[in-house]
Amino acid sequence: MTAGAHETGTAAGLVERAAAAFAASVPEHPADDGFFGPESVTWRLAVDLTTPVAGLRSLIVQALHPLAMAGVEQHSDWRSDPVGRFASTSSYLVSTTYGDRAAADRAAAIVRKIHTYVHGTDNVTGKPYAADDPDLLLWVHAVQVDSTLKAAALLGTHVSPADADRHVAEMTAAARLIGMPDGRAPTSTAELDAYLAAVQPDLLLTPAAADTAAFLLDPPGLDDDIAGLWSEIRDGVLTVLPDWASDRYGFTRPSTQLDAHALAERRAEIRQALGVLDAVTLGEPGVLEARQRIELRIRQAQSQAPRQ
Amino acid sequence: MSERSVGRLRMERGIAAVRLAARGGARYTRNAPRLFRAAGEQRQQLRNDLALQTAEDVATTLGTMKGVLMKLGQMASYVDDGLNPQVRRTLSRLQDSVPPMSPALAAQVITEELGSPPDEVFKEWDPVPIAAASIGQVHRAMTKDGEAVAVKVQYPGIAETISADLGNVGLLRSLLKMAAPNQDVNALIEELRERIREELDYEREAASQAKFAAFYDGHPTIHVPKIIPDLCAKRVITSELATGARFQEFLTWPQAEQDLAAETIYRFVFRSLYEAHAFNGDPHPGNYLFQPGGQVTFLDYGLVKYFTPEELTPLEHMVRYLCVDDDKEGFRRAMVDAGFLMPETPLPTDDIVEHMSLFYDTVRTRGPRTMTGEYASSVARRFFDFRSPLAAYARIPRSYVIVQRINLGLFSILAEMNATGDWRAIAEEIWPFFQAPPTTPMGEAEAEWIKTRTPFPPNDPS
Repeated sequence: MTAGAHETGTAAGLVERAAAAFAASVPEHPADDGFFGPESVTWRLAVDLTTPVAGLRSLIVQALHPLAMAGVEQHSDWRSDPVGRFASTSSYLVSTTYGDRAAADRAAAIVRKIHTYVHGTDNVTGKPYAADDPDLLLWVHAVQVDSTLKAAALLGTHVSPADADRHVAEMTAAARLIGMPDGRAPTSTAELDAYLAAVQPDLLLTPAAADTAAFLLDPPGLDDDIAGLWSEIRDGVLTVLPDWASDRYGFTRPSTQLDAHALAERRAEIRQALGVLDAVTLGEPGVLEARQRIELRIRQAQSQAPRQ
Repeated sequence: MSERSVGRLRMERGIAAVRLAARGGARYTRNAPRLFRAAGEQRQQLRNDLALQTAEDVATTLGTMKGVLMKLGQMASYVDDGLNPQVRRTLSRLQDSVPPMSPALAAQVITEELGSPPDEVFKEWDPVPIAAASIGQVHRAMTKDGEAVAVKVQYPGIAETISADLGNVGLLRSLLKMAAPNQDVNALIEELRERIREELDYEREAASQAKFAAFYDGHPTIHVPKIIPDLCAKRVITSELATGARFQEFLTWPQAEQDLAAETIYRFVFRSLYEAHAFNGDPHPGNYLFQPGGQVTFLDYGLVKYFTPEELTPLEHMVRYLCVDDDKEGFRRAMVDAGFLMPETPLPTDDIVEHMSLFYDTVRTRGPRTMTGEYASSVARRFFDFRSPLAAYARIPRSYVIVQRINLGLFSILAEMNATGDWRAIAEEIWPFFQAPPTTPMGEAEAEWIKTRTPFPPNDPS
């Protein structure tokens, strides 16, 4: 990948910046195990191969809430510096997941502070919005958790139903960090699904959402060596979008194009492409060491756990 | 037998091994606990703390294309010129990212393959691997007969994982385009697939190594560790334990030593090609161990190409017409016969000869020549130059793809050694159509071996 990471408005340097954010946010000498810990399902899923697809699915689905979209559109610099925006989101997620409690609290305090400035009126619906509105926080939170689980499951990472429930429950810690009142975040996949069904009437494809999805699925200025992989990743995102999101965007549901067998094969191919992207990421400075730090802590926890 | 007398016996064996080594420069001996220990000194920095514990761990670490990418990284060592630096960095990091198997997982493979756990199969078993192999790892052990051996153990499940990844031709194609934009992607894909398929096949590898070991038995400087057939299986290869200096250390030896070892390597490559009709396609520095006096041990027979006489004859004709008979038209005809050149190529013979002769530069005339890095990289550049006028009419038939490793692998290794030799004179000894008498002391020393050696067994064409 070439220099030019600071060109505005393009996706150049995406992998380097995301990788650097990851490497820097996995602590070397944590004071404690943070809010999740090495035995959590969350730790395992956050370094899964399918994470890039989960992230993209998350952003594309989140954009379908007009008030959430309005906040991003009117306050964020994502259009001028999409890669920087993406890197700071990654940084936040990695710090709150693997960081110790102090690091997670620090990262969350900064975001909560920023959220207090993000409010206004949505041009499309005419409704007022505020980024610290628990309803909007819940939307963003729920879609993120759902995306992590769906991308993993559909693209071949085994997550048992019990582990899926555990992940949803563990993630209430992330909800608390971002400032959601206790009791709002779902604690099981059933609650998560119920929420996503109930919120449907609030969703709407705005022009800003359409722009966001178009940018994410086909980012301009991607470095050559990643551009070749991106078409596979885009297909990956499209095959894991929920039907209700595909329908609102006007994307063809993959299930109408491919039978179950062909779809499974296609997803296996996409997983292979994700393996290549993962290898490319591993080539970035510090990433291998950061992964090894995580893996060693997971193993240490396993070896200390009482035998059942 | 008491604890003490066992220890005493071991020590005596050790002393015997030292004497043997001192006397004959032999690098393998039976009853060799000293060698058993010495080999451990080559232990690499392996992340045993991150060891793979289950077949599932193997699939996670080496599946989803990562094993395939690692192989691509090894191929990159001979398609050097076309590779972009980012890809090179990624591939080399990937090699670092694979931890060894845990002792329990390695023991599980031994148990599945040899019927009992390693502690029962071997008299001694070192559960900590001494080296990483690309799709497995090497343990040292001592057989019940007291022989020090190297046991290569394949990662469980790797064959299935990698075959699935090799099926994704579309992705392979875009990967290779990205990694080496100026090259013939189809040829590279076939090469990659064949190479991986063969490396996974430990039975074939053991059979190849056994053939090479038998053929070079008694050779004054070429050594091939003997296979212990009873301790080999689909995912396990047991061979004599060899010791010697690794390439990086060897490069600090006096130039005269390096020249001798270079001569041994050169003789090994071309005697194998012309007399055994076999080519060990992995002229990789990691596969050699060096001892003083030009003694070289050749490890790793995972990629041996066997030639039929029909495949080899045109190669012989090419070198003969160009370098001995000076028959340019004959050279051109031989190129067409081999399939390297399209029959109707509208280019003058002189241009073709001019383009191709660089590959034969070291054997066109007699006299000492030093292999330089400059020469090696000019060969690599020309080989992969798809912009030359000849490129449109030149092909590399499937059965010869591997021969490019002579041009790219061998020459670059000799260049790293900065080796000087009269390569033409040595070639004349080996060329079947020339059969010149020995021209160097090593050639003289080979005479006895040539008289008594057993012919290489007939090759299955593959």
